[in-house]
Amino acid sequence: MTTPLLSVRDLVVEFQTGDGIVRAVNNVSFDIPLGKTIGIVGESGSGKSVTSLAVMGLLQKPAAVVPQGQILFNGLDLLTCNESKMRELRGNQISMIFQEPMTSLNPVFKVGEQIAEALRIHKKLSQKEAWEKAVHLMNQVGIPNPALSAHKFPHEMSGGQKQRVMIAMAISCEPKLLIADEPTTALDVTIQKQVLELLHKLQQEYRMSMMFITHDLGVIGDIADDVVVMYRSNVVEQNNAQKIFESATHPYTKGLLACRPKLGANPRRLLTVSDFMTEEGKEKVIPVDRVQVFDKESVADKTDHVLLEVKNLVTQFPIKGGLFGGTVDHFKAVNDVSFKIKKGKTLGLVGESGCGKTTLGRSILRLVEPASGNIIYDGKDITHVKHEELRQLRKKMQIIFQDPYSSLNPRMTIADILVEPLIIHNEGGTKAQRFEMARALIEKVGLKSNQMNRYPHEFSGGQRQRICIARALMLRPEFVICDESVSALDVSIQAQVLNLLLDLQEEFGLTYVFISHDLSVVNFIADEVGVMYAGKIIEMDKASNIYKGAKEEYTRTLLSAIPRGETKQSLASLV
Amino acid sequence: MKTNSLWKDAFIRLSKDKLALVSLIIVLTYFFVAILSALGLIASNWSQEVGASNLAPSMEHFFGTDIFGRSVLLKVIRGTQVAMSVGVAASIIAIPIGVLLGALAGYFGGWIDDFVTWLYTTFSSVPNIMLLISITLILGKGIFAVYIALGATSWVTLCRLIRGEVMKHKEREYVQAAGAIGGGHFRKLFRHILPNVSHIIIINTSMQFQIAIKSEVILSYLGLGVQGEPSWGTMIDDAKLELVRGVWWQLAGATVAMFFILLAFNILSDALRDALDPKLKGK
Repeated sequence: MTTPLLSVRDLVVEFQTGDGIVRAVNNVSFDIPLGKTIGIVGESGSGKSVTSLAVMGLLQKPAAVVPQGQILFNGLDLLTCNESKMRELRGNQISMIFQEPMTSLNPVFKVGEQIAEALRIHKKLSQKEAWEKAVHLMNQVGIPNPALSAHKFPHEMSGGQKQRVMIAMAISCEPKLLIADEPTTALDVTIQKQVLELLHKLQQEYRMSMMFITHDLGVIGDIADDVVVMYRSNVVEQNNAQKIFESATHPYTKGLLACRPKLGANPRRLLTVSDFMTEEGKEKVIPVDRVQVFDKESVADKTDHVLLEVKNLVTQFPIKGGLFGGTVDHFKAVNDVSFKIKKGKTLGLVGESGCGKTTLGRSILRLVEPASGNIIYDGKDITHVKHEELRQLRKKMQIIFQDPYSSLNPRMTIADILVEPLIIHNEGGTKAQRFEMARALIEKVGLKSNQMNRYPHEFSGGQRQRICIARALMLRPEFVICDESVSALDVSIQAQVLNLLLDLQEEFGLTYVFISHDLSVVNFIADEVGVMYAGKIIEMDKASNIYKGAKEEYTRTLLSAIPRGETKQSLASLV
Repeated sequence: MKTNSLWKDAFIRLSKDKLALVSLIIVLTYFFVAILSALGLIASNWSQEVGASNLAPSMEHFFGTDIFGRSVLLKVIRGTQVAMSVGVAASIIAIPIGVLLGALAGYFGGWIDDFVTWLYTTFSSVPNIMLLISITLILGKGIFAVYIALGATSWVTLCRLIRGEVMKHKEREYVQAAGAIGGGHFRKLFRHILPNVSHIIIINTSMQFQIAIKSEVILSYLGLGVQGEPSWGTMIDDAKLELVRGVWWQLAGATVAMFFILLAFNILSDALRDALDPKLKGK
């Protein structure tokens, strides 16, 4: 047997924090053979990113300590290397792609220069040679018109293009090992697919080994040879990718595989990790009715009452220009959109970033003023209502935002955040009664009422999103817009939040507009789906019809971009 | 279970910083001395003769005596009262102006922003010391004029910082969320945004305080500051004639007193920024 390129042996990483020592990585061992891809899967805080930082020698010292373990790279123990030796390896033999392409590039340098920089440092190329090589690399990662694009600054490129530049930088010195830390999480599904294909192609061409870190087991199926599943600092399962997908043994892995909504049939509620295992990690038996496929359309409409109707809505933003910065033109973010939603139903809106779906949501709530068209809520035209009427409307229509980190005021306790809507609208009686309402709701969304005196920074992303949901429901609204409300969450948490939204919809008879870039999520939660492209709804139908027979080419592209959660072998066998 | 707010967390972090704690104790001691002096409990008899003229420092007179045989120590304490009162008065005038104008400009934008930006660029385009001198000349010499002059110049930095920070925060989703539940401009600005930028007020005040102390010393040195009262500035002014005769203690007393308070405020400002800035804290 050949020696692997990278071999991690019994690695332990601990962090010294104010509350004592926290073990982030516990006895982790795995090998990456030459020219193979290893997927490391786990939720936030499972220790997967810390493992990759340990390999890069980028752990924050002195807070992080490695009391035990070896990281052998070509037989050399990286943990014993000094900083100058590591700098020689980093970027040259081992390189890394980060999650956030928006902040990983230096905004004041041209992208071509940034790619050329690594070449000048490690390969000692001249300015001119390095630039030519950079243009060549940009061509290789599929950036259109590379000779011209190399002169662009990062802000002139899209998110997908920036991630391609990051990849070009990472492969510029032909590294033996490429570490990709959630490289596609911040991207739309269609771009994600392209980036994954590109990484796979480059890995084959350069015969690199790759360590691919992700929270989404579905993503990894397309490119990984072996999969390492991490849970709470430990490796719980490690196997050939095909075996993991066909016959996972650990309940956590099974849970991860089941929690991503499928494009076709889904159970009434998504399975979550907690269906497969108990808090202590023991396996659970799943009741049969939890896995039964549920057909949304079998449920007859309770009412024909149309709650919201949007007619020919246009929302536009001025484009400033000219000598005196006057308005020269308008950009129509929402361009002539019309639809109806019946009470108690869910309308899904899908599309890529920039298609106008978020602006549409905010225009309906009048957080952004529409330019023309009508919004008719419960039979009343609300397009131009003002002041007190608008305030009354806020009680009935609510919104849940995308980013659970920035949508809660960090200086207010959970109790204050939840009670605030009642204070604004002078509802809910006394202080004690209001607090009681908040307490009841916080338990309904699955948090403990003894956490109400805490501040948002002490909660995880999933918990924060539950708090946002509770805040939106405090005024007992009838209509809620969920704007990418689960996109920032790990897949396992995403399933829990989707289930919660469905439970609440049933209990309170809510009507949802669910906005997302992920068709599989929308297909699971929505009754009807509208596909948005460049400010218009180009296709609108029942969720199952969209999935079975999309009429538009664009919809089919979106559908095909969704990770299937299968291995490349099983895909190959289909051909 | 009750847990910590960001403020409390910041205080815990600050209390772990030994150097900052020492600085805080120094600052508090100066305040304590200034308050006692203002209440007339100490140094009220500074103008009395306690010994011969120009006595060198000894066990009896720690900082020696001045030309009229007055205790330099008592003059330094009296000067501390003047210096601290100038810092406090300048802050009391500058904070409301800076915060209010900065918050309104940052939040509403448009012509309000244009006006406030014009106002503070005008103020900051005039050299500070020129502005201070002209204000004291208009209002007449004396401590009151110094208060007004320093208050009128030190709001500019705070205003600019608050404006930028409010602009950044008003786009955040938690502010939009406050709008979505029906909150008006007043609530969004004062209940949601301001508490999240208030750390800037504390950090900036700590920095402005020492600038105010220095400015008071300069103005008094130039003869435009306090009249008929000892101040660190007038003591330094007196010392320039005494130095040639080898009388160094009046200068030493004033500069040592100034040195410790300025150093303490500088260290404290840095420590406050580290402890209060939410960006340095992980999500």
